[in-house]
Amino acid sequence: MASKDPDDFALGKPERLFNLTCTLLYASEGLTKKQILQTVRGYDDEYKHGGDNSTLERKFERDKESLREIGIRIETEIPKHEDENNQVSTYRIKREGFSWPKNVKLTPKQLALLNLAAEAWAGGSLSTDASRGITKLRALGVVGQSSDIIGISPKIHTFEPSFKDIDFAIAESQVIQFDYRIPKTGEIQTRTLQPWLMRQIAGAWLVLGFDEMREAPRNFMLRRIVSKVRTVTEGRELRLFSAPEQSVIDAAVLELDEHARSQEAVLKITPGSEAWFRYELDLNPSRKDDSLRLNYHDLFVLAEQLREYADQIEVIEPKELAVLVQEGFRKVADLHG
Amino acid sequence: MADEIKLNDADRFNLMLALTGLLVDGEEYTVEELVEHFKVPKKEIVKAVKMISYTDLMKSNQDGSYEVDYDDLREGFVSIRYTFSKAIDEVPRLSSRQASALAAGLVYLSSLPGLVDNSEIEELQKILASDDSTEKKKTVLIETVTRDSDLVAIREAMASGFSITCDYLNLRGETTLNRELEPLRIDSQGEVVYLRAWCPVNNDVRSFRLDRMRNAKPTANPISEAALGAELVDEIYTSSETDTVVTLEVDPEAYSLIYDFKPVEEPESVNKTVKRFKIHVGDVRNLGRVIARFGGAARVISPEIARQSVRDFALNALGERSSTTPKDAE
Repeated sequence: MASKDPDDFALGKPERLFNLTCTLLYASEGLTKKQILQTVRGYDDEYKHGGDNSTLERKFERDKESLREIGIRIETEIPKHEDENNQVSTYRIKREGFSWPKNVKLTPKQLALLNLAAEAWAGGSLSTDASRGITKLRALGVVGQSSDIIGISPKIHTFEPSFKDIDFAIAESQVIQFDYRIPKTGEIQTRTLQPWLMRQIAGAWLVLGFDEMREAPRNFMLRRIVSKVRTVTEGRELRLFSAPEQSVIDAAVLELDEHARSQEAVLKITPGSEAWFRYELDLNPSRKDDSLRLNYHDLFVLAEQLREYADQIEVIEPKELAVLVQEGFRKVADLHG
Repeated sequence: MADEIKLNDADRFNLMLALTGLLVDGEEYTVEELVEHFKVPKKEIVKAVKMISYTDLMKSNQDGSYEVDYDDLREGFVSIRYTFSKAIDEVPRLSSRQASALAAGLVYLSSLPGLVDNSEIEELQKILASDDSTEKKKTVLIETVTRDSDLVAIREAMASGFSITCDYLNLRGETTLNRELEPLRIDSQGEVVYLRAWCPVNNDVRSFRLDRMRNAKPTANPISEAALGAELVDEIYTSSETDTVVTLEVDPEAYSLIYDFKPVEEPESVNKTVKRFKIHVGDVRNLGRVIARFGGAARVISPEIARQSVRDFALNALGERSSTTPKDAE
């Protein structure tokens, strides 16, 4: 009990990671794995001199991964005159990669906005990363303050269970596979995707990526994924991809927008009805025409929106949409009969 | 409040990094100040400070790298001093995942018109992108379209503490003109923006969808004490004892219903994809539109009166039967 503080505590993972970080920052020349395992608290007690330390080595590998997730990169260097012998590889953390740029300051208002951005994820898929990011930014010593955003409580919806896995796969460039329900036929297909980005349009999340089956960029709506998102392995390794240039991704994003602009529905709406109000036809009091032209990116999502207004909306074009709306109602009536 | 927050290993490590970054320049803080600043429970701050002080750089150096005064800590003061060398001497940068989560949150804020200044958001986006040492790609895009004229008027009223009047179309399709509301908070949930306001007629907090609102104008009536004292819960729909308990089954295409209505208990899985859960419904006659929109991906299991309401809605839409909704529906 002769420690610096009478309170006992066990040396857990956070402490081990912290010790490792400090040591590798301090040792600017780098340390070999052996030196690390022998000297860093959290490993040293378990180190067997002249024995098998493979368990400990695996622990070190996992810790490296944990550090990377928090934003700390361990650099590995192999001395020039050596082959790839990891007994002599040295590990270190470069200071410039570790620290928040010195010349970048945040104002109280900016921190308040970032707080709000983090809160928007509360309970959502990215809340852990967002709140850890805020914790780090608070280390700048600034207190978030802005009267402009008092009384605003934004929440990003991510109700799709696949969101988190896809987000992770994008960040790690992992190829994924999932079962997808084709809305038109109800058929379920297994698709393999190199995911690039996620996008929310009118409340629905899409993932855009390179579809290996179609050999082209494709969008998938997360709510139509009817399985867990799986990673793909190659031998014993996870299959990774290299993401294309931003310009390729931007072009694929634009393509969907253009597709939406080229698709038009013509609707007839009962004047004065709720739908009339919803589509803001009331905002122009001189309006006599009861038809509305609407662009859409997904026929099935539009059909859902229109069904809310039951008989207040008549679909003139396209015929396919009219059929879809009606079939949906028929199915609902049958299922509740 | 802060005491409810639970930290895991990665959170604790992250907190240790942040605390060190804040404390390395030698300034003294009270534990309470740090609890307030980092919004974590007191015991986490104390534990993290102790753990930091236990850091050894190398086994050969028996001293810690950071020294904490334990007498001070017991009295609620925290300061850290280097004993010999600097290991962490600056604020740690964000991981690319942390930066992109915050960036995506900002994208969402900027997609809500009139709530925040977009030039400030852009500036922050640049900062977040520049902090990232790795190659940075946008991985989340959010697009929301909301009319902003009513929002601007409501925000004005909120800033000066006055009530508003507006025209409001309720779920039954009836419009109330010049309804007076005392605005408390703007809640955006995904693509829908709500005004949470005290309604002097009902003497209660209610949620109003902005897309059903017109002609919002600030009044000269200050927001009442009753409104300011009202409790704002996060759920948009609050239930009351007279509500009907309705059991639903949903396919993935309709999982959003689980979030729109707070289920009475955790949803159970019927099979790999179908989830079943119970919700409180104030008026089952409103269920038709909510369920029918999904075209079969959402189903009412019980009670029969709710099933019938959904069936009638669908049949009515098909023009096969007139709605059986009684004329006296509120």
